Parts: sequence; C-alpha cells; structure tokens
Amino acid sequence: MKFIYLGIILLLFTSCIEIYDDITIKSDGTGTFKYNINLSSSKVKVNSILALDSLDGKKVPSIKDIQAKINTYSQKLSEKEGISNVKIESNFTDFIVKFQCDFKSIEALQKAIKEVIIDESGTKDSKEIDHNWLEWDGIKLVRSIPKITTQYTEKLKTEDSELLKNGSYVSISRFDRNVEKFDNSNAQLSANKMAVMLRANAHSLTQNTSLLENTIYLTNQKKP
Amino acid sequence: LYFKNYSVHLLKAKHFALTMKNTIIILFTFIGFTSFSQHSEELIPSEAVSVFSINNISLLKKISLDELVKYEFMQEVQSELFDGSTSGKTIKDSGLDFDQKLNVYYGKNELFELSGFTFGISNKKQLFTVFDDFEKAKTNITGVELYSSYMNHLLIKGNSGIVIRVEPTYEKVSEITDSIWVARGNSMFFDESYNDYEEGDDYDGDYEEEGIVKDENFEILDEMNPENDLLNKNYWELRDSVTTELQSLYFNQVLNNLFVKEINLIKVSPKFTLQLTHPVDGIFYLDNSKNFSNAKGLWHFQTLFPTLYDDMLDLYTGNIMVGDIVLGESSVDVFMEANYGSELGSIYQKLNSAKFDKKVLKYVHKNNTGFFAYNINLKEGYQRAYDIVIPLLEDEKDPRISYNVLLAELLNEYVNTDALFDTYKGSMFGTFNGVKKVKTTRIEFFYDEETFEYGEREVESEEEMPIFTVGFSTNRNDIPEKVLRHFGRMTSRFKKQEKYWVVEEAVLNSLPLYIINRNGLVVFTNDEDLALNHADGYGKQSLSGKYAKKAQKSKFMYGYFDWGQTLNKLPREMFNSKQNEILDAMRGKAGFMELTSSKTTISKTDFHLKYTFDGSYDNSGKYLLDLVNSIYVLSK
Repeated sequence: MKFIYLGIILLLFTSCIEIYDDITIKSDGTGTFKYNINLSSSKVKVNSILALDSLDGKKVPSIKDIQAKINTYSQKLSEKEGISNVKIESNFTDFIVKFQCDFKSIEALQKAIKEVIIDESGTKDSKEIDHNWLEWDGIKLVRSIPKITTQYTEKLKTEDSELLKNGSYVSISRFDRNVEKFDNSNAQLSANKMAVMLRANAHSLTQNTSLLENTIYLTNQKKP
Repeated sequence: LYFKNYSVHLLKAKHFALTMKNTIIILFTFIGFTSFSQHSEELIPSEAVSVFSINNISLLKKISLDELVKYEFMQEVQSELFDGSTSGKTIKDSGLDFDQKLNVYYGKNELFELSGFTFGISNKKQLFTVFDDFEKAKTNITGVELYSSYMNHLLIKGNSGIVIRVEPTYEKVSEITDSIWVARGNSMFFDESYNDYEEGDDYDGDYEEEGIVKDENFEILDEMNPENDLLNKNYWELRDSVTTELQSLYFNQVLNNLFVKEINLIKVSPKFTLQLTHPVDGIFYLDNSKNFSNAKGLWHFQTLFPTLYDDMLDLYTGNIMVGDIVLGESSVDVFMEANYGSELGSIYQKLNSAKFDKKVLKYVHKNNTGFFAYNINLKEGYQRAYDIVIPLLEDEKDPRISYNVLLAELLNEYVNTDALFDTYKGSMFGTFNGVKKVKTTRIEFFYDEETFEYGEREVESEEEMPIFTVGFSTNRNDIPEKVLRHFGRMTSRFKKQEKYWVVEEAVLNSLPLYIINRNGLVVFTNDEDLALNHADGYGKQSLSGKYAKKAQKSKFMYGYFDWGQTLNKLPREMFNSKQNEILDAMRGKAGFMELTSSKTTISKTDFHLKYTFDGSYDNSGKYLLDLVNSIYVLSK
C-alpha cells in the first residue's frame, strides 16, 4: 500500500504526466489492454526526486525498487486466469512505462487486476474493489474510472492536485466494427469509425472523475 | 527576579509576623524561603549534550500552546501531554514564570537518551491546566514533587520545574533482552519485520495477520494464570518489560544525580555556566566531545582499543560549541564559538591558515543568490594531524592498527604530498545562481487521426533547474586535465571544448555538466552560459564591492545567501509540512543571511551568522522557537 502511495506521490510531483489507456475489444469479448505512463517531460524533476532519500516524510524508492515492483505486478498478472501475453517495457532514461496484455474477457481482465491489487495492497472487502469499471455486452461498452483510483484522488491535497494541471489522460476504446454512437460529448470518433478517444486534463480528472465515463454503442454489423 | 522573589517572601514573612509575632521566626522563615529558591537552569541534567536556553521568554507570551507542541523538541518530550485542554491558550496562560529561563535540553549516552525542558513556575494551578494528564507520584527525594504521565515526568522543586523523558537506548535494551531470551533456551531472535521496515514502509499492515498480536484467548489465559505469563513472555513482551525496567532505573539515576547529589550541567560545565551569564535573548550549548564518546560506531572501537579510544577522547575533550542569539527589530544575530582542546586546536589552526583565493571572485556573478567560500590549508593541516595522530596510533599493539600506521608512514614517505596538496589545496567555493530554464528532450505521444493508433516522437523541451557552480583552487591544472583526458578517452560522454570540458547527461542523468579547468581553478557548473561565454570569468559582471571585500577579509569561512529570493524558488514538495510552515513565515520577505568567521586560535574559532530582513516579524518569539527547533533537530 505504501508503495502505491509513494508511486502516486512520485507521479504527482511530476506535473507533466501523460497517461495512455487503450482497450481493444473484439466481438467475441477477447481483447488487448494497453496502459502507458510517460514522465519524460519531467525527467529532470523525476531524477531529482529519485536522488532524495525521502519526500514528504516517505522513503523514495530507487529505480531498482520500482523495477522490481513492476516485475512483481507483471508476474502476478500473467499468472491470472484469462490473461496472456503480459508485456512490460520500462525506460528509466525517459521514464516511460508501457504495459500490455491480452484478455479472454472483460470480466477476466477486471478480476485479474483486482486480485493483484488485493494481493499487493492488502485491501479487501471494500466497495471500491468490488466496483466494475468496464461492462461489455457484445454491442455496448460502458467505461468509467476504477473506484480504487478515485479513492486516492479524493485524498489529494489541493496544492498537490494543482501540480497535475499540465498532465493529460488519454483513453481509447477500439473495436472490430463501427461505432454507432457514444454518450460523452467530449469523446472523438476516429476517421475509420472504429475507435473512440477521450482526452482529459489530469488535474480536471482529479476534480471530476466522471470526465472519462462513456457508453459506446456499436453497430450490429462487423466491418468487412 | 531577585526583587520578585523578595516580594513574595516578604509577603509570606508578613503573614508569619502577624500570626507568630516573632521577629526571629520571620527572619528564619525568610532565610529558609530564599535558600529554597531554585532557578530553572539548575535543573538541567548533567547528561545533557545540547541545551538551548531562552533568556527572555516574555517573547513567547503570544505563542499558542497548540503551535508550541507542533515543534519536534516538544513532540519528543510529551506527545500525549497536550490535548484539547490547551486549545485557544497561549504560553501566557500556562503558569510559567517569565522571569526565569526556559531551557530545552537533549542528551544521549550509551545507556539512555534523555530530553525535555526546564522552566520557572509562577502559578502552579495554571500550570496543571496544561499538564492536566500528569498525576502525582511518590518520590523519596525531599523537597521535590513528582508527577507522571506515561513515560513523561514533571518534577517541581521550589519555583522551577523540569519535564523529562528518559529512554534506554535501542542497543542496551537489545543487549539485555537478547541475553535473557537466549538464557531461557531460545535461539537468537531475529526480527524478520525489521528488514521490511528498513525498506521504508511505515508499518501499515495487519498486526494480527502477521502473528504479532496474540490470540484472543491469550488474554483469558493471562487472567487465569498470571505467573504463566511472566515465564512465557514472547520476545516483544520481554523487550517491553526490559525497556520499562531500564527506563525506571535510568530515570532514577538521573534524578539521583540531579536532586540528591545536586550535580547538574552548571556544575560540570564551566563553559555552559559562563554562557548563561550573557545578557542576550537566547544561548545554546553543544558538547561535541560527548557526541564523540556516544557515537554508535565508537562503542565497538572502545571495546577493541580502549587505550586508543581514551587518547582520541582526550583529543576531543573541550570540543564544545556555544552561542548567543540576539533578536533585533529587523535582524537575528547568532554568535557562535567553536572551542576545542589544544591538540585539536593546533590542527585546526594550521588547517585554517589559508588565505582567500581572489581568483574565485572572477567566477562569481554579481547577481548571484548565494555564495560561500572556505579556505583551508590542507597541507599544513595534514602535517599537523600526522604529527599528532600517528604517535597515538604507534603505541597500539593491535596488528591491524600497526599495519595501518605502517601504511600511512610509507605513503607519507613515498607519495609526493607537495603535488597532491598543490592539486587540491583545500579551499573551495560555491555559488547558487537561481533557477533557470534548461533545454532537454522529451517523448511525446501522438495519435493517428484515422485510427487513433499511438506513436512516439522526441521533441525539444524545457525544464526548470537550479543553477550551481562549485570549484576549488589548484596550483596544478595539469593534473585534473590528465584525469579528464583519461575519461575523454574512455567514454564519449566527456568532450573537450576549447576552454572547458562537457560531460553529457551528468546532472540528474539528463543535463550536461561543464568543467572549467584553467586559471588556477577547477570549476564544475551546470550553467551553460558560464562555460560557453565566461570560461575566463565574468569580468566586469563578477562580484565586487562590499561582499567581495568581506570575502577577501574572511578567514576560514565566508558565505551569504539571499534567503528571501531563494526560498521563493525552491519547490515546496522538497520539504515536509512542518518545514514548509517554518519556511512560509519567511517566504515573500526579503531576507539576507551572512556568515563570517574569525581567525582560528589554538582554543577556538568564532563565527557570526547574521540574518537581516525587511520589516519586523509579527512574532519574534515564534522565530526564536523555529531556531530552537532547528538546532534541536540538527544536534540530535
């Protein structure tokens, strides 16, 4: 749990964080999930934080600690049922971490992520963990933000969340057929009509976690 | 103070006179009360290593008690002392005698650590509205009242009080607990959770889950058979018992010294006694010789090499730092005196005999925010230290020490010390030139409009970076050049330019470091402008006038810092919330800090730190407490 907190602190103090959250769902319910974190525009700042022993009273993890933790998450996730091809690339020169995995179903993906969080943080029996942030019924995808993350953002001090004003969060949902419509008016449809993108400012997201909520309706016909 | 005491005693005497109508009794009563009066500084334990004494505690009247307990020096002593009962109250309401000094002390030896403060009492009833958690306890010491709250104790003698907390050291508790534990037939205890804790986790796991909390049925078992509990304590319960016993033992030792034998710091330290007489706002005292003898690593050293340890202790005897604090309307002056014994003094005297190197000024921009220079004659210092330390070591029969003595003697003979100390003479300087935007690169995510497929590209970027320059004087630029050339051959990151070297991605793995090795100086900087455009110095833009003259006149050390400007540029996240609170009080104000030193003699070096600011502080007492706290934290 402490590690997660430190991770968040580290991310917070690097105001120019860029997060890329990409999910591809095929008609059979299988798909690929990608999650990239880019801190390269704050690499001097990140390096200066890593050079400290502690920050805000908490020990700053070393690159070795971070790498070890990433490997643990990766290993645990790859062992979960319905999850395959787990890949993690970490670049500690530019501070970019890229995660990717294939899943058999949306349920399997969420279950695996929840189990790893419970295992690593000791959190259990909480409503936040029970919450499903993805729902897929074959023609409709409902997306929101996992409550486990909003739990942390709610605790942020105003001065801390202010630091995220230059950060961005990009959420992309991809399909193997056309998108018919979507609820969130801030979302954009790709020219090929098979992907929906939502961009949000990281600071605004801490203030209003519903910014990335969207329900995407697909056409019945598969793309030829 | 005398007048006040006199008035109190006179009133009491008058009362006696009216009732007893006996002038002899009046006289004896008066004498009795007078001899019984106590000053707060007389209650400072002789075991104290550092003391901060506030002479004019009237300054603190406006400080709220809630504010006071936030300081580290208060929290350590009595975290559970203040509760809601102090809300909205100030020190004025606390029953303190503002005519007596308030003394904050801390001490540590190989057995225990003690901390607390001593103070005068004017109103005991008011005092106990603050110390409301303290309950009266029994003591055999005549004339002393004892009150306790958990591990904290309040003792009152006459019209002075001492709050004290004595805790056995971790090592001592471990030593005794482990010996009992093993004597009971257990194997050596290894705390598996210790390594996890060391990794930085504040423990937030479930104790029960880890088997630390005993079973619910265990409590029932305890009640049924208390004897069984005594014999079957687990390691942590045993440790708690040992800690409690030692706490009591050491606490009584301190009390015995202080109240029965009447040995206090004043009696054992003439330096401290003298310092107390200074008519200033506050004084501090730090006995470095005790810090030397209490240093953790040296206990092992003391066991292995007792004679050598005693010799080293002799060398450190008298190593005491004392200081005065004077609060002005727009300035704070701290006068420090670093004292030492004659042998150590002779090393310092030689070491500090260097003159300021004027060439340094060429590399200090006139608009810099901070500058320091210290001037050391490493060659002279080395020779003097060699003459003093080697004879101490030579007498040791231990083969390891003997081997090291031989090695040192051979190196002294064979190494060209002239070349060594000509390369690095010992004098250094540094400047802080504020925060500048520096060029860097970043990876940008971009998205294809057709499919929203993601890609990456490298783009130019800018980040803010504090600009520092540090350097040292040398008579041999050729030797650092040889080293740099070697690195240049070994790695492409070291590149020779016309007047400087550049080391790519050297600062925080992201930015270049520039090395200017010329004109009798070796200068390291992350300031591209200095390297590219001013490799031979800033010329007319370099530091001159008043501060340049002061630097040149300085002996061992000189420095200044535009605190106001710098603070506004330092990121808040670098500090914890308490530090930020202290810094917030200074942010937005123009403040200038300057440190000068006197010539080093065989017995001492004087330093003067002056902090001037625009406008007066709303509450100089708070500023004084901030200083107390800083010194307390630093001296721990």
